[in-house]
Amino acid sequence: MKTNRNFPAARALGVLIGSIATLACAPAAHAQQRDASVLAGACFNCHGTDGRSPGSIVSIAGRPELELATKLKAFKSEPPPAGTTIMNRIARGYSDADLEALAAYFSGIKAASAAPRAKVKGDGK
Amino acid sequence: MSVKLSRRRALGMLGGAASGALAFPSLSFAERRAGRVVVIGGGFGGATAARYLKRRNPLIDVTLIEPAKRFYTCPFTNLHFGGLRSFEQQGHDFADLRRAGIRVVHELATEVDLASRRVRIASGPWFAYDRLVASPGIDFRWGALAGYDEAAAQLAPHAWKAGAQTKLLKQQLEAMPDGGVFVMSIPGNPYRCPPGPYERASMVAHYLKTHKPKSKILLLDAKDAFSKQPLFQDAWAKLYPGLIEWVPLAKDGKVTRVDAKNLEVETEFGQKHKAAVLNVVPPQKAGLIAELSGLTDASGWVPVKADTFESTQQPGIHVVGDATNAAPMPKSGFCANSQAKVAAAAIVASLAGREAPKPTYVNTCYSLIAPDYGISVAGVYTAADGKLVEVPNSGGVSPRQASDDFRKLEARYGEGWYRAITQDTWGTRS
Repeated sequence: MKTNRNFPAARALGVLIGSIATLACAPAAHAQQRDASVLAGACFNCHGTDGRSPGSIVSIAGRPELELATKLKAFKSEPPPAGTTIMNRIARGYSDADLEALAAYFSGIKAASAAPRAKVKGDGK
Repeated sequence: MSVKLSRRRALGMLGGAASGALAFPSLSFAERRAGRVVVIGGGFGGATAARYLKRRNPLIDVTLIEPAKRFYTCPFTNLHFGGLRSFEQQGHDFADLRRAGIRVVHELATEVDLASRRVRIASGPWFAYDRLVASPGIDFRWGALAGYDEAAAQLAPHAWKAGAQTKLLKQQLEAMPDGGVFVMSIPGNPYRCPPGPYERASMVAHYLKTHKPKSKILLLDAKDAFSKQPLFQDAWAKLYPGLIEWVPLAKDGKVTRVDAKNLEVETEFGQKHKAAVLNVVPPQKAGLIAELSGLTDASGWVPVKADTFESTQQPGIHVVGDATNAAPMPKSGFCANSQAKVAAAAIVASLAGREAPKPTYVNTCYSLIAPDYGISVAGVYTAADGKLVEVPNSGGVSPRQASDDFRKLEARYGEGWYRAITQDTWGTRS
């Protein structure tokens, strides 16, 4: 099983994720529990899947947790840090606890893609 | 595939009816226990749902039904009109989704049998499901605008679904004589991609300014305000002075009749406008299969539960993307992707007997006004008391006062966004 397809950081954190192995030992969830992998999913749309950007937007995978948390929370200050374009508008949609969970999530992912993408073809699971 | 179980038997055990001759790999025990999900539609919503279902639980059997072998995105097609991107750069195939273990069937889904939980495709076979995801996008309300039907669209293209219509409009634009008027009819809300018509006007203006400077653009609008309006209008005044005229509803901007043969439109109070190129963005509704499946309400769109995007009318069916009434979320590819990820998490939880996690949805829409001039709108949404709400004090548009560098950065980030989201959705590199 390839780590980059199964929210490795979420597993490392022990938050809820969907792989069977984790499901089996996950504690019973309460309704509407925060799930860092759900929070993080929307970040992928600009920062790349798992925070590994394919384009001009900064990669956030594997950055130190404290650095990410500090930066994310700083976007909520008024005025936001110099050079900010959109992240102030987005960061204000999250509680500090959400932003900390996101920082932990992305810091737990390896910065570079560890596995080539084309290997799953024909895998006999 | 591991277990030697005939397709017929596997389907029979699962309560599905096996028919037709389509190759349908047999399922392992674990896969059967994990559940089967059929996804209708391979756009931003459907492809994302399929990918993230499989990613969250590789044992779930996922079938994606999408007629197109290569899906052309609406986002960024306006850049094609501006001469900044080729049409082919808009296309994304399904090879990476197959590599992820998803069964991709290139046919049209024609029927959903709600009682026995199965989906039929055009050639006849049925696909049984435990959960269904429908992301059918939009269809047009042909005839809602007098004179505008499918035949008329061959003369006055909508180009509001990417494909042959995009190519047609691009050809017409290139064939237009210098000094001609490019007329666009813009519908009232809601419709796919709220800032789309205005980005298109900007990109057409960029093309005309460069190649046909005597030409004009006339925007006939069925509403009095639009997405990122001050930002667009500031930019038009600066970059394309005198080139773009916007006529709001209050100034008789609403087109009520189209004469496609003569490339002429008539507005509410009887004014006629002749075009050299006529682009009609028609009134819209949810994709046809949603209507056929009893998912839509009187509005023509699909009502959904705010926390899971499960249909409020048909349990076990999640609908995402432009087909839904997800206000205050706009109909955008970003929203569809974001909703699909939440729906996938909810389905995986539900199949495992768990409660769905807390949802967070995001939208970001970049619009390109010139190659170095981008603007954006963002929103963060959640469910509160059963309703979709924008998180207070979050989101909003780019500042009206901003430096050239700021606009340039947003142009650059828009391109970065497209590369990221298309890779996230289809696994393609663009």
